[in-house]
Amino acid sequence: MLDPLDRKLLRDLSRMKGQVVAVSLVMACGLAMMIMTRSLILTLESTRSTYYQKNAMADVFATLKRAPLSAAERLKTLPGVAGVETRVVVDVTIDLPGLSEPATGRLVSLPEDGGPQKLNRVFLRTGRFPRPDERREVVLGESFAKANGLKPGDALAAVINGRREELRICGIGLSPEFVFEARAGETLPDHKRFSVIWMNYRALAVAYNMDGAFNDVCLDLAPGAVAGPVIEEMDRLLATYGAGGAYTRKDQPSAQRIDDELRVLHSLSFAYPIVFLSVAAFMVNAVLSRIVRLQREQIAQMKALGYSSRQVGVHYLKFVLVIGVLGTAIGGVAGHRMGEGLLVIYTDFFRFPELVYRMDWSSLGTALGVSLGASALGVMSVVRQAVKLPPAEAMRPEPPADFKPSLFERIGLTRFFSPAFRMALRNIERRPWQAVFTSCGLALATGLMVLPGAMSDSIDHLLTFQWNSQQRQDVSVFLTEPASGKGFHDLEHLPGVIRAEPIRSVPARLRFAHHHRKLSITGIPRGADLNRLLDKDERPIVLPEEGLFMSAKLAEILGARIGDEVRVEVLDGRRPVVNLPIRGLVEDFAGVAAYMDIEALRRVLKEGDTVNGAYLAVDHSQWDRFMREVKDTPRAAFVMVKRDQLAAFRETTGKNIGIIRTLYFILATIVAFGVVYNSARIALSERSRELATLRVVGFRLPEVRAVLVGELALLVLAALPFGLLFGRGLALFIMSSFSTETVRLPILIRPSTYSIAVLVVLTASAASFAVVSRMLGKLDLVGVLKARD
Amino acid sequence: MQQTSSSPRAASSGTVFQARGLRKVYHTGELDVVALHGVDLELNAGELVCLLGASGSGKSTLLNILGGLDVPSSGELVYKGWALDGAEEETLTLFRRNCVGFVFQFYNLIPSLTARENVALITGISRDPMSPEEALEMVGLEKRMDHFPSQLSGGEQQRVAIARAIAKRPEVLLCDEPTGALDVTTGITVLEAVERINRELGTLTVIITHNAVMAEMADRVLHLSDGRIISSHRNETRLPASELKW
Repeated sequence: MLDPLDRKLLRDLSRMKGQVVAVSLVMACGLAMMIMTRSLILTLESTRSTYYQKNAMADVFATLKRAPLSAAERLKTLPGVAGVETRVVVDVTIDLPGLSEPATGRLVSLPEDGGPQKLNRVFLRTGRFPRPDERREVVLGESFAKANGLKPGDALAAVINGRREELRICGIGLSPEFVFEARAGETLPDHKRFSVIWMNYRALAVAYNMDGAFNDVCLDLAPGAVAGPVIEEMDRLLATYGAGGAYTRKDQPSAQRIDDELRVLHSLSFAYPIVFLSVAAFMVNAVLSRIVRLQREQIAQMKALGYSSRQVGVHYLKFVLVIGVLGTAIGGVAGHRMGEGLLVIYTDFFRFPELVYRMDWSSLGTALGVSLGASALGVMSVVRQAVKLPPAEAMRPEPPADFKPSLFERIGLTRFFSPAFRMALRNIERRPWQAVFTSCGLALATGLMVLPGAMSDSIDHLLTFQWNSQQRQDVSVFLTEPASGKGFHDLEHLPGVIRAEPIRSVPARLRFAHHHRKLSITGIPRGADLNRLLDKDERPIVLPEEGLFMSAKLAEILGARIGDEVRVEVLDGRRPVVNLPIRGLVEDFAGVAAYMDIEALRRVLKEGDTVNGAYLAVDHSQWDRFMREVKDTPRAAFVMVKRDQLAAFRETTGKNIGIIRTLYFILATIVAFGVVYNSARIALSERSRELATLRVVGFRLPEVRAVLVGELALLVLAALPFGLLFGRGLALFIMSSFSTETVRLPILIRPSTYSIAVLVVLTASAASFAVVSRMLGKLDLVGVLKARD
Repeated sequence: MQQTSSSPRAASSGTVFQARGLRKVYHTGELDVVALHGVDLELNAGELVCLLGASGSGKSTLLNILGGLDVPSSGELVYKGWALDGAEEETLTLFRRNCVGFVFQFYNLIPSLTARENVALITGISRDPMSPEEALEMVGLEKRMDHFPSQLSGGEQQRVAIARAIAKRPEVLLCDEPTGALDVTTGITVLEAVERINRELGTLTVIITHNAVMAEMADRVLHLSDGRIISSHRNETRLPASELKW
């Protein structure tokens, strides 16, 4: 048996169901975002941790030129080291019949003894590992196999150390080391053109003169061991073998990408939903204030009948509870479904044996707590005021509201205003806080519209900037190892090459104060026209004759500024150590890089005209010929075709960002509509007497509508500029939290984005006004006028 | 106001309203409530008519139909030769705008507008209004014109409502329990204002009341019961409002 007050609650709620739904939906949008992102975080984190643990992801990684296997024995004795796995890792060109351009394969050797891998264990999806004596059998990376329709039993051709070899696929697998599978330095996966391939040690070692040696090593740390000292020891031990410096899992490219993604999700799980929930709290406050004012006499009656202030207070708080529970239920279901849907996107980027969606139930509880807390806080004062009133006083009709001429009128502008406009101004001035709350809600709703647009503006800008302004080459070719001027000459004379610019890159550690970063310093010609360096105004940078240009992000990481001298420890060749000044910063959006004039870099390295590769502009009529030749160039380790990168981007990231953007856009639209609708309903209900009076004395429906809409329209117009400003701030905040070492979004918001936000809010307003106008038409004029306030 | 039928129907000179067989049925859920059971009525220019009757007798329904706030379910209603029964909403709006003034028990002033502005709302939209100042003077509020409703007493607010109702120089003033929320003294001040308007402007005035004493200030008293006019009585002399006592 329901308590009579609860029965009243249910009936009151059913009478105002439109508003209950509007507020619950807004709340649900915020909660759905929160639950979706929290659940994605939980899913990714738990899946990663299980995968890393089960498949023994290494803690420390290092690459080197060539070290005898005995060096590994010494590594094992280092304090803190629990396990060592040595490998031969080389990049080779793969020739697929269906692909005009060459793909890149990263060949990773399996243990020499044919036993199971100790670290970074391959998860075999289908097939088997190569037989110990088989030289041609390989396990192929799953995403590449899928993208190219390859399966166990199929063959593929690779150019291994200059010789074309046929490899047979015996298994399809994946590894915790390559959850994010991309070429070194690439920020986006290109599953069609890059794969990790595992093969027997002997087959690979023999081909690259690595028999009894290795060029890549990873370590497992003992429980409680600290990475720092181990890395120092390791670097000291491996320095003579051309090691490029060891790094921990934190800097491992694949692990780093997952961390970056989680960081983005963390910021989305917080800032964006908070705004939705604030809007919902404003709305709950507005709705409940209205109910309490309307039910002034009922409150008096309840108290006269003997209900305590507490009981009455709790009764009204239950309104909030119902809205909160409804919002949480809708938000929970929607968040769960959106999360499941978005998880598919992650399977494009991250390869796990299994990525099973895990709902973060605790976030549901947090969400409910946060939304109820915020709403209850918003209505507490209203309820307190209601229960404070002595019953006898509350039963008398409320005296007419106290008004005075508005500020504008007091300064003498009255004659410019129509009575309707005066009513609007005075209403706003009488209850400034209500107006402020309504406007805040509207401004927040407007602001929410900016983020989705800003995201696509940034991506558009990034694409034009990166693919049109900055990278003007058609192809980038990287060689298996540094070559002399002849190597460049060969590339320059490939068929169809119109222009070629050499690349010399060398691994180095940059130090400034106590910060350091390991990366490649890239040397390019001073007047480079293909891969250009641009400053933040997109003007080409001419490299100075000495000194460094670096990513603004790198300078930030090092804590250095233009003019500061950084210590450059080259990790290759003669390993020179020099101090070089920072001459300028480059605006780039992926990874961090340092550039030098190629001649200056060669002087530092004390070498002649060595190159690692070249940027090429190719005559498109000769494209096929060019590609055929490149595929057969033994020294080409990998070839990046700009057009393919762009297509891959559009297919994956572009599409996914589109989905996310649409989702945010829909949520923001719901909020915009909900807020305006709620305000319009409240205005209609609060002013029904005035409006009925106007109808009775002979105002036409459109004239009365103008009075109703006037005040709201003023609030909408006042809210728009603040909304856009707020939206800009919110977009900047969220997008700058996307800014990681691996990828950054340029922050740019086009006027069209603001226009769309304004347009959506105005459309939502027009639609809400249309709904309440219809209700206004149905107003029972006599009934309203005869009722006591 | 627009002509709603092809030609004005015949009406005696000085007749403002002519009603024949007015019926009004409200459909509430499964029940049909008959509020008016075929009312025949003539109301003339300059008359002050009192409608008396218990709650639910149909007097408010009749007043609302006369004022164009509602339409009869059947029967004829002619206002100065123009048919109001079955008229469109737009026609009724124009009728209310130009021909009728309403006064309700609750004053229904716009709280955000001053007395003068409340009246100006009407003078802004009607054809031949008097100035707000003139209307407020007629109800004795010339000194309170720039006060907001919250700064006025109940009687003063009701007088503003009357000024608002008559500022358009309506042919008809319809008052639904105009003193219902007021004490005796204040109520009499309000009735004096109504009386003055009826006398000076010659406005047909219809007052609904529970208070039989008020009937003494009327030219004619109609008793309603169960949706019918059960008696009609003409006063030999009208008692000035100031002499009413209850």
